[in-house]
Amino acid sequence: MDDVFDLETLRHAAHVAGFTWTDEELQALRPVVQASLRLLATLDALPLDGVEPTTQYRIL
Amino acid sequence: MSADLAFASVVDLARRIARKEVSPVEVVRVYLERIGARDDALRAYITVCDEAALAAAGVAESALAAGRPVGPLHGVPIALKDLYDTAGVRTTGGSKILADRVPEADATVVRRLREAGAIVLGKLHMVEFAYGPEGLNAHHGAPRNPWDAAAERMPGGSSSGSGVAVAAGLAPAALGSDTGGSIRIPASLCGITGLKPTYGRVSRAGVLPLAWSMDHVGPMTRTVADSALLLRVMAGYDPADASTSVLPVPDYLAALSGDVKGLRVGLLRAFFMESATPEVRAAVEAAAQTLETAGAIVDEVALPAVAHVGAASYAVVASEALAYHTGWLRSRPADYDPEVRKRLQLGAFISGAHYVRGQQVRALVRNEVDAALARRDVLLAPATPLTAPRLDERQTTLGDGPSEVRGALIRLTRPFNFSGHPACAVPCGFSTSGLPIGLQLVGRPFDEATVLRVADAYQRLTDWHTRRPVLA
Repeated sequence: MDDVFDLETLRHAAHVAGFTWTDEELQALRPVVQASLRLLATLDALPLDGVEPTTQYRIL
Repeated sequence: MSADLAFASVVDLARRIARKEVSPVEVVRVYLERIGARDDALRAYITVCDEAALAAAGVAESALAAGRPVGPLHGVPIALKDLYDTAGVRTTGGSKILADRVPEADATVVRRLREAGAIVLGKLHMVEFAYGPEGLNAHHGAPRNPWDAAAERMPGGSSSGSGVAVAAGLAPAALGSDTGGSIRIPASLCGITGLKPTYGRVSRAGVLPLAWSMDHVGPMTRTVADSALLLRVMAGYDPADASTSVLPVPDYLAALSGDVKGLRVGLLRAFFMESATPEVRAAVEAAAQTLETAGAIVDEVALPAVAHVGAASYAVVASEALAYHTGWLRSRPADYDPEVRKRLQLGAFISGAHYVRGQQVRALVRNEVDAALARRDVLLAPATPLTAPRLDERQTTLGDGPSEVRGALIRLTRPFNFSGHPACAVPCGFSTSGLPIGLQLVGRPFDEATVLRVADAYQRLTDWHTRRPVLA
């Protein structure tokens, strides 16, 4: 994971999302982004095939 | 007389005003005087609407004198988290970015409360744009938890000022908003009652969003009966909020029978009780025992999917929050609290696939909570696994090990923002250091009446909600 999200990759990902952040800002974000990606990776391991996503109750 | 009024319940105030035993002007003056005397130290209010509140109280008094029909909250003061739009009164979201924003119209629920006779005392401090559970705010400073103001403890957030104002007698009731627990966390830490209704029960129109699919608005009061009264006024379909339901709004106050005989209560031990500190765990076990002694049927139930709520709700909240804030993040990044800005920036690194996976987990959690409630009337758990941390505390130790304070505060409330079920926090004890402990009751969708009925019965059986902080 550390290799994947180096500063250049972060800069590119931010750019794709429409943001231009300084290297200093990206460097500060880097450990937090990596922690959040580790957290999100736990979702990839869940057996969610066939589970339709939902948002909220909607009783009209 | 002053202290008597300051800690009177909303139900009692409304009754005494309607009977002309006390005048709306007198009530509003009592609160304005207390705000003037206490709020420099407690920092609950961003804006105090003293002139407007007194003028409205005068009009309310005239209506009574003239014998005109009045609403259920006639002359009762309330305060609002500063993300509810108020016509002609600035609504900042606790931010620098909206510091001078003055809406032209009231939020739907504010309008409904005013139509019922309520008088707005002012706007309350909050975490910037409601993005954080501790109650901290880099622009305005943090409100002080009145139970231990000297030690500077967290009030909880993001509805920090709402929790402090109600607990300290600076308002009889307040409105909060709850995206991961922001009504129930300050209610738990400040020793008051806080209700997060079912998603779709109360309009969010005119309320600044954090994450649309997780945001709920609701009352924060000293008693369950007061929350029932406010919810009746606030709830119902609103054409300005497409998520609101057309289901009829029951008389929640009439549902408070005080009787729990035969009601089925599921105690959430796994995950919920396991992560609580020993003092919190003991208080919640005792609360379950109290309900059982009163005739409820208590059993144990587990919700295994909540273990994934942290990751899944992070994907949803961070993505939705970024979507709302993208423009300001580009044009005014330096005007955010650096911590809030960082949380918002993280949303840029979440993929669409992870957002959808989060919503798939939401389906699992919702189905699991529905299944648990198919054979039970309410679920019981701690509202927060710990009592109020110090303002500078970042790490803590819970029943299942070390944890960041931020994550610990939202761990037990967030699952029901994710699932959308109604949930109410009420005080259920005090720690050895004198800090309130919060109990959480969760019910079926749109069955706030049963949640309130059990919570009210619990308050009739205990006196935790009647205790008051000693203010310096």
